[in-house]
Amino acid sequence: MNSLILASTIGVAFGWTLERAGLGSARKLVGQFYLNDLTVFKVMFSAIVTAMLGVFWLSRLGIIDLGQVYVPETFILPQLAGGLVFGLGFVVAGLCPGTSCVAAATGRGDGVATVLGLFMGVLATGLCLPRFAALYGSTPRGTFTLPEAFHLPYGTVVLLIVLMALGGFTLAERIEARR
Amino acid sequence: MTRLQLFGVGALGLAVLAAFVGTPVPPRPGQIDVNQLAGMIAREEDHVTAIDLASWIKDRKAGLRVIDVRRAEAFDDFHIPTAENVPLPSLSHAAFKATDTLVLYSDGGAHAAQAWVLLRSLGYSRVYFLRGGLGEWLDDVMNPVIPAHAAPDLKETFKRTVELSEYFGGHPTEGDRPPATPTSQRIEAMKRRGC
Amino acid sequence: MIPARAGRPYANPYYAGIALGLVLLASFALAGRGLGASGAFASAAAGVVRAVSPSTASANFYFSRYLADGVNPWRDWLVFELGGVMVGAWLSARLAGRLRATVERGPYVASPVRLVLATAGGGAMGLGAVLARGCTSGQALTGGAMLSVGSWLFVLGAFAAGYTAAPFLRRVWQ
Repeated sequence: MNSLILASTIGVAFGWTLERAGLGSARKLVGQFYLNDLTVFKVMFSAIVTAMLGVFWLSRLGIIDLGQVYVPETFILPQLAGGLVFGLGFVVAGLCPGTSCVAAATGRGDGVATVLGLFMGVLATGLCLPRFAALYGSTPRGTFTLPEAFHLPYGTVVLLIVLMALGGFTLAERIEARR
Repeated sequence: MTRLQLFGVGALGLAVLAAFVGTPVPPRPGQIDVNQLAGMIAREEDHVTAIDLASWIKDRKAGLRVIDVRRAEAFDDFHIPTAENVPLPSLSHAAFKATDTLVLYSDGGAHAAQAWVLLRSLGYSRVYFLRGGLGEWLDDVMNPVIPAHAAPDLKETFKRTVELSEYFGGHPTEGDRPPATPTSQRIEAMKRRGC
Repeated sequence: MIPARAGRPYANPYYAGIALGLVLLASFALAGRGLGASGAFASAAAGVVRAVSPSTASANFYFSRYLADGVNPWRDWLVFELGGVMVGAWLSARLAGRLRATVERGPYVASPVRLVLATAGGGAMGLGAVLARGCTSGQALTGGAMLSVGSWLFVLGAFAAGYTAAPFLRRVWQ
């Protein structure tokens, strides 16, 4: 029960932050792909950088145990393919699973529709999955991190990602300024 | 600088530090950071010479602790002045201070080098060992030899060695070094000479 | 920049991102796991399948994972988290005067069409999320912060597909 209360609390903070940023608005989200509004990139990578640095240093200082944190497993082909299909669906719907709930909760009909579509999509895919079990389970790599893939120290990868993000932010500001 | 730019600089700073530190795994007792230790060994930051040690002892270097990792009998037979005996098996129980400068030695240096790795894995950072072991101490400090026809600058540096040697009751000589013998024999020979 | 149509202006995206990162970090530190969204949909779907046909549910390797050991799929961590998301979003919008019963759409698309597109897009995202074992919350944010290769591939794929498909969907949005 405790963990469910924690889950709800974390969810409240999550939903609050998403709405604050305006990510419950489909037009704003899609603006990323028309280079009108790069909020998606800014929010996503600010979050990734913050959490990534936080994880590194909290672990280093012995405050959290990295071994106790669940890292998603890597399945190269299905995740790349899934990403492509997901991206397509995202530009059509204008919302992703998390933000569709934000939109639905704040009165947006398109949010509700996306939620329904998501549910049906997951249901149908799950039911048909046994037929595609080969693709679904292909190219497993277990817990596979970027440092391992590139044979670089963890800290170096962190630095590279931060540099990339900061560069991206600078570029994003320039792109938006020209609009 | 705007507040956001400040955040950006802060993030960059933390990232640079992360790259410097390398791993998010905290240094844990008993765990060895192979990369770090290998680097120190290659850069020769792990050991000191007998002459260095002799200078440190003579100058009463603050926090210096000379640790003899041999068995008690060997220690009682002969040990470097001011040395403490902490046999290898007892090393993990010894509670050294993080601010102490530990210099480990053994007969030939191998055990001391191994003890160096062990103590570093326990988290001590100011640890060194005598690479040539007690043999090096005997050769370079107690019985230093300068060839008869050495160059003038060598004779100059030898004067400092003589000073150190005599401080510890050694016998500096000129001429050829006798062939190397096991440490125990050298100790016996030294003892026979007397003070 | 696309501003808020009603109510107070949106927060600075960088600050919102930092806040989001801190929420994610808190989740790691306190719950030993990151955020997610599509997983809740999977859990819910498993619950529905089991209610309709328990044998189908247990025979299906995807849904049975959410039903293993008699676990209640409705009392799933992500389901509760997503419930919280809705509450948090509602609260934030309420306080900022941004609650509106409306259908957000491009200027040249009628509401019914928009709703059909939203449903279709949702369906595709459902497929993608199942294959990828997550969505932007679980893979991009969580897996991204943990430097998981598969997660970064997902992000790359999603952005690539988005930018490729966008020109064909201009009439929908602009």
